[in-house]
Amino acid sequence: MTELILQALFSGVLIGGVYALVALGLALAFGAMRIINLAHGELVLLAAYMAYLVESRTGLDPYFAIPLALVVVGAASWALFLLVDKIQDHRELNSLILTFAIGIILTNAILLIFASDMRTTSSPALQDAVSLGDVFAMRGEIIAFVLSVVLMGVLWWWLKSSWYGRAVRAVSSNRNAARLMGINPARIETVSFLVAGALAAFAGVALYTMSVVQPATGHALTVKAFIITVLAGVGSIPGVFLGAVLLGVTEALTVTLASSALQELAGMVLFLLVLFLLPNGLFGARARRG
Amino acid sequence: MTVTSATSVSAAIRRSGGRGMALGAGLVVLALLPLAAGASPYLLGLLISALILSGLALSWALLGNLGGMVSFGHAAFFGVGSYASALLAAKLGVPVLLAIPLGGVIATLSSLAMLPALRLSGPYFALAILAYAQIFRILATELDWLTGGAAGLQRYPGLPTLFGINLADRAGSYVLVLACVALFALVYVVLRKSHIGTALRAISDSEDATRVVGVNATLLKSWMLFLSAFIAGVFGALNAHIIGFLEPDYAFSGIWSVMPIIAAVFGGYRSVLGPIFGAVVIYLFDQVIAKSLIPVGHQILLGILLAVMVLLAPNGLSGLVARIFSKTAEKHHAGA
Repeated sequence: MTELILQALFSGVLIGGVYALVALGLALAFGAMRIINLAHGELVLLAAYMAYLVESRTGLDPYFAIPLALVVVGAASWALFLLVDKIQDHRELNSLILTFAIGIILTNAILLIFASDMRTTSSPALQDAVSLGDVFAMRGEIIAFVLSVVLMGVLWWWLKSSWYGRAVRAVSSNRNAARLMGINPARIETVSFLVAGALAAFAGVALYTMSVVQPATGHALTVKAFIITVLAGVGSIPGVFLGAVLLGVTEALTVTLASSALQELAGMVLFLLVLFLLPNGLFGARARRG
Repeated sequence: MTVTSATSVSAAIRRSGGRGMALGAGLVVLALLPLAAGASPYLLGLLISALILSGLALSWALLGNLGGMVSFGHAAFFGVGSYASALLAAKLGVPVLLAIPLGGVIATLSSLAMLPALRLSGPYFALAILAYAQIFRILATELDWLTGGAAGLQRYPGLPTLFGINLADRAGSYVLVLACVALFALVYVVLRKSHIGTALRAISDSEDATRVVGVNATLLKSWMLFLSAFIAGVFGALNAHIIGFLEPDYAFSGIWSVMPIIAAVFGGYRSVLGPIFGAVVIYLFDQVIAKSLIPVGHQILLGILLAVMVLLAPNGLSGLVARIFSKTAEKHHAGA
């Protein structure tokens, strides 16, 4: 039993890495424009299907799909930004509906092109079991986790040290003050959406190598990313990572101890508990929601 | 019969003002639709489903327009209403016509669990309500001693005969559903004209300022949530007794959350008629045109439609119509 629980904890942490990438993309776009991009999970899904496309057509390792995914998802994210930017009035409400609509379009486009079958990598190297002491993982899971942690490090450095990264933080904390300092918010919003798209591209390819994807996965990912945002607040990268790991572990433990049918329920219950009991998130982010 | 009931309703509305005229006329059009459909059972069946969606879209728009809340989880209320009514009728022998409003009541009770979510605004409320819809679907699957689980419910009573009208046949069902749509549209119009409607408009302009002048904004918003849940529950219940089969993946399907949004935004969620007609147009478009063009993935057309409407005509068709009317009125004015 202990072994099973340990294994569940381990798998939960590994998938948490990818969840964190998805949630960070959502948080970046939210920080810049104060809108929740309900199509973010579908952008991740798009990247996962690019990986499937490259692997099934060329027989190459799915990681070779990263450049293609970056271009396609980056372009999609940019197009999405341009559309959201066109909204004039009732911005919060209409942007929710618009991104929701784009999510429906992407999901169904993927359904039309790739059918509803579940897809995952066919590479034996990625599916090999690796043992670390008492627990096991697929090699793909380990690589995806390491990739996620490295990307989080890069993002952290970018936001902390680069001019653009600091401008992104400035715009999300006070748009008008940032404008007075000579930052063009429209440009920073574009950059935020491009970086969010890049994160989605990596997350999607990583997801494909460690888990299964199908058209409905996109919507579920958006919800998960949102849950993590609520758990962690939108403030910090380590907070988002911890929130993501917590969600991953909760899901994995539910599957191990109860049933896989309850996996989604566990995340939702966790979400509602935190939302009602700890309205500032687990880590007390100061941003007020509402 | 259909026409007289609708015109008497429209007469009642007419007394309440000019906008009521349009509503009354709209309902008459809906009452006449089956005649245009040539009473073909297939078309009549489609129209019944479309009207169910009209009711659901109306309840979504009421919450969005008066309450200022976007719901991505109206499937929760719809599903609870349908299961509650079917179970009351099947297990406790409650008469179906009583079980249907009780289904609405139980949907309202289920919305009590969402009250804490009212503190949240915008996207947080939207996603919290989505979470509820998922939880209810999973509960309906897991509580199989009550709901029959994933296998679903089949043996429960259908609609009865009332005043010599067999509500279970398609024409009868159509009349019943249309009467419910008309009733709730009337409630909506009256509510919007009342003090409560004024207060709610003020809340949507500035919630803080409204609180300062002594309006209990949270209380009013929760009433809107209850009413919206009740209406959605009633239409869920009607649908359950009309189709005669329930399973969790159907009753709590995301379709019941997505379609009212598309219908209400398409028709114009700030009007009363917009969601009602939006639902009829959208449903018929989806079932008759989209499905034959693209059998799998036909929702892509609805998604495109929704995106285009939000971008080009955020007030929907009714907004467009109103704009054209006001333009022609201006012309008349200038001419005179």
